[in-house]
Parts: sequence; C-alpha cells; structure tokens
Amino acid sequence: MTPLLGYRAVSRLLAPVATLLLLATSPALAQTPERPAAARRESRTNLSGYMDFHYNKVEFTDGRLDFHRFVLLVTHSFSDRIRFVGELELEHALVEGLEDAGELELEQAYVDFLLHRSFNVRAGMMLMPIGIINERHEPPMYYGVERPFVDTVIIPTTWFETGVGVHGEVGRGWRYRAFVAAPLNAAEFSAGEGVRGGSQKGSESNIGRAAVTGRLEYVGRRGLTLGASAWSGHSGFEFRPRFDVPVSVVAADARYSRNRLELRGQFAHVAIEHADQLNDALARRVGVDPNIARAMRGFYGEAGYRVISGARFGDVGAFARYENFDTQFRMPAGAVRLPQFDRDAFVVGANFWPDPDVAVKVDYSIVRNRSAFIQAPNSLNIGLGWWF
Amino acid sequence: MRAVTRVLAVLLLVALSDTHASLQDTPAAGVQVVEISAERFSFTPSEIRVKAGTRLELRLRSDDTTHGFHIIGTDIDIELPKRGRGTTTVEFQPKAGRYTFECSQLCGAGHEFMRGVIIATE
Repeated sequence: MTPLLGYRAVSRLLAPVATLLLLATSPALAQTPERPAAARRESRTNLSGYMDFHYNKVEFTDGRLDFHRFVLLVTHSFSDRIRFVGELELEHALVEGLEDAGELELEQAYVDFLLHRSFNVRAGMMLMPIGIINERHEPPMYYGVERPFVDTVIIPTTWFETGVGVHGEVGRGWRYRAFVAAPLNAAEFSAGEGVRGGSQKGSESNIGRAAVTGRLEYVGRRGLTLGASAWSGHSGFEFRPRFDVPVSVVAADARYSRNRLELRGQFAHVAIEHADQLNDALARRVGVDPNIARAMRGFYGEAGYRVISGARFGDVGAFARYENFDTQFRMPAGAVRLPQFDRDAFVVGANFWPDPDVAVKVDYSIVRNRSAFIQAPNSLNIGLGWWF
Repeated sequence: MRAVTRVLAVLLLVALSDTHASLQDTPAAGVQVVEISAERFSFTPSEIRVKAGTRLELRLRSDDTTHGFHIIGTDIDIELPKRGRGTTTVEFQPKAGRYTFECSQLCGAGHEFMRGVIIATE
C-alpha cells in the first residue's frame, strides 16, 4: 500500500471520530437523564508521579546504582467529559546528546473524550494495551525490582505510540480498548531483545500503514482480571526498495488477588513475517546478519503472599516467579537458531511496603539458557519505588 | 498451548459465574448496602442496578493507593484512603437514570479507565 492510500484509510477512520468529538460538546449526550441537584465540577489540574531507584549486581560485573525512572504525571479536566493525561519519564537520570545514556520520553499525552461509559474516544500519545505491565507499571503495584523479562524482551514495555482510538466498558465488568497507532519499525528489531527497539515513540512516526491494537478485559469479579490483547502492523517501511514485514503480537494475561494472596500469569507471542527478507536487508545495511526470528514467545507465572499485613510498620510480601522466554522461538528458513536466546528465569524476592505507595524491594534472578558456551548471568537487585 | 487454553477457559467460567453487584441485606429498613472495592484501575462492582428511589449506602474501600469516588453530576466526590486505612461510606438515593461514577484522584497510568455506573430503574 502506498502512503497515499494509507492517508485515505486514516482519513476514513478519523472522519467518524471527528464527528463524535463534536458531539462530545453537546449537552444531548449527558450521562444521566435525570440528575440530582447537579454539581458541575470546575476544571482542575493534578500532578502525580512515581520513581524507581535501583541497585543491580549482575553476575561477573560490578554493582550499579541507577535512578532508573523519574516519572511525572499531569492531568487536567477541561470538563467532566474532556480530560488530558500526560506522563513524562526520565530514565537513568541523565540524557546526553548522541550517547547511549538515559532517555527523556513522553510516554503519555492524550485527550480523552468521555462520551458514554461504553464508548469514549482517545487521541494522542497512548500506551499500547498489551499485557499486564504496560498499563500497570507503578512500582508499588508489582513484585520484583525490575519488570518481568517477558515484559521486556517479548512485550516491549513501556510501549507507547501516537494514535487514536476508542475504549469503554460494555457492562458487567467487560472492557475494551481499540486503537489505531504508529507501527513498529522492523529496522530496529534484534535477536536478543526482539521487537523492543522498534517503537517509534511518537517522534515523527511513519504512519504510511497504521497499526491496529486492542484489548478485551474482564474485571467484573472482585480481585480477578482477565485480559486478551493483540497488535498488528506493517513494519518494513524504512527499507528501500520497500518490502512488507507484517508483525503481530498476541498476549493473554490473568491476575487474581484475595486477601494476602496474589497470583498472576501472562503469555505473549510475536510473529514476524518475511523475517528472512528482513535479515537480508539488515545484513546489507550493517554488514552482519542480525538473525531475527520469525516467532518469539514468552510466558510467566507468579505467586505472591503478604506474610505480614496490616502491621503498624507496614506490609511484607514474598514472591516467586518462573519465566520462559525465547526471542528465537521459530527461525526463518536458512537461519540458525541461537540457543542463548532461549531462556528461563526463576525470580524470588520480597517487598516491604512501609506505606501502600512506597515499596522497598529485593530479589534474586536465576537465569538459564540453552547454550553450552554462553552463560546467562544471575543478578541481585534491590530497589526503592514510590508513587505519589 | 492446550494447557494455557484450558486455564483460560476455567478462569472465564469462574468470571461469568459471578457478575452481579454486591448487594447486601439492609442494616435499616429501606436502605440497601453495596460494598465497592477500588483498585488500580477498576471499581468492583462497576455496575450497580437498583430501583429508583432506593436509599443506597455505598461502602467503599481501596485495595491499594488513594482513590477518589465521584458520581458525575452530583456533589458526591470523596477520597478513599489507602489500603488498610478503613472504609468510607456514602449515601445516595438515585432517581431513575444512569449515574456514572469515577475515580477522581489520579492513581496511575490507567486512571481514566476507572469508571462505573449506577443504573436506577422505575
């Protein structure tokens, strides 16, 4: 498809959305046919954020202190039905030009037009609704200092792109999101970290052929969340001569908490079509075959238990997580599967919450791969995370 | 894959078996108690159906951080204290209609998804 056709397709999508946005200002779409004496909220602005401070001791290397994330969120309500949400993140404390140091990222900056409980419109920089962590990554919310490996090399959290879409709750705890967004850039894929480098991050993103993504989620039973997510896009736009690299990501996840117990699990699969052509094109560009797979897969299961809950000094929880992740699950014809990218991780640790919004974390990650020659390093991690 | 499918099917069945609002017997005549838990980023239950004119006693509790509870179009807008710091009670007597409620305290990246509805019918 040419960029012109892509523009037309996007225009067709935007036309009904624009109509709905105009309707958003209409009093006819009021939420309640009859209201008590109404108290119209004045517009207001809120500031919030979270931080992540880590000590990482990876086997065979010196320990590192890293102020991993400094995140500020700002929201503004123009009215009850028009809201702005922004999230600005500084990673690794320092950003220097042209150096592979920290990153300053605009992770969210969207306006929500809240039309109806079952149908709302969102436009701007948005989180892709894939998996557990991508939309729920405030440090006190999860066990472990670092995010799960599956949420790093299979699902590229934090995954955000510019786009437009709809979301809502259709009743009895069923929710959905469906977005059109900028696609991943296949020129940045790698053997070890999968599609992680491919996010365009809203920086003059190529939108010749927009990606589509969505999530169906069930939250109707206390303590239980079930989710199914999918993403599909065409990622070969950077190559000349142009060729198509269709990419799809599917994920299923479940979380359950009851009293002190919390269980969670996730499965994710990435499929890259024409990976052989992609490897050829990248080899011509950089001189080395990047050995990118045609399928990547990962899953994990985690159990956490608050061994102390409600004490005056806070809560203490212990957890264990098993992960299996392989960024070379299936290779294109003629490519050799490298066993060091077929990995398992067993992570054990504890969280101490002196306050529900402050978490002191410690964990030990035992990582194994299938290679007889290249050893995956274990790591000791200590972290302090907070939300305000 | 089969094992994953089976686990998901069982979880789905469990989910479908209990989808109604948590309505309790009344502590006083004519008052209906509803317990609502708030957690990033949902209220449970998120859909409450009652007869119009019913005096509702909403008992709200947070399972994690500070949340807000705002019924759009009304004066009800309260703060729910963090996990383990108690339950907040709100009384509400709806006329016939749909009343959307939402979290009014910024609670994280998915804050805007945290909404629900009270449906009062004749």
